Amino acid sequence: MKIYAKKWITQRVTALILIPLIFWFVNQSISFYSMNYQQIIFFFSSIFNATLFYIMMISMIIHAKLGCETITEDYISSKSCKNIIKLFINLINYTFIIIVTLSILKITFIS
Amino acid sequence: MSNNRPLSPHLSIHKKILTSVFSIFHRFTGIFLSLGLFLIILWIFLIALGPNYFNLFKYISTNIFFKSILFFWTVSVFYHLFNGVRYLYWTFGKGMELKTVYFAGYIVLALTFISSVLVWFKI
Repeated sequence: MKIYAKKWITQRVTALILIPLIFWFVNQSISFYSMNYQQIIFFFSSIFNATLFYIMMISMIIHAKLGCETITEDYISSKSCKNIIKLFINLINYTFIIIVTLSILKITFIS
Repeated sequence: MSNNRPLSPHLSIHKKILTSVFSIFHRFTGIFLSLGLFLIILWIFLIALGPNYFNLFKYISTNIFFKSILFFWTVSVFYHLFNGVRYLYWTFGKGMELKTVYFAGYIVLALTFISSVLVWFKI
């Protein structure tokens, strides 16, 4: 399968995963707004909540990365500029995944 | 391979009809939501760092500037989600008759409006 076909399918699969999770997250966010630190830690101490949040974040990061790459490829004409932006997007993408993974692990299992 | 892809016509070239405006806004909200990812990552990172850092985020979140970003984030997330579902239907070749395309567009706008209002009333 060609790389663009893979990206196209991944973009749609992550979109499908995100549909229910976004409703769940937005609904939870309304409660997060008035929660204190202990209440939020209690929320994430549930493996179920932590797993849903983690799946949502990873899908969101991948979905955003693929979307930003497509926009870059569609509208940036300079090859070097395009490659620098794509490198930057990839760098941010991996940084985000590392931060989210370590944060969730710490909140759920250590805090 | 990727460098041989043709460029898309730039935005100023499109005639501003509903379908193109929906598509342009789908991309705009996509970029905005990608930037909004920074805030969610920052939030979860500060929680992991401890209560003092989390309280700093709590303090910032009462700011009117932060609240306006949050408001536009809510509208963008609902628009991008509902319009995305419309595009997913197109992926399977469904709902592509011109009448349905326009009707679904208006449904997207209505659902975005209703969902955003519901969320902000609950806050």
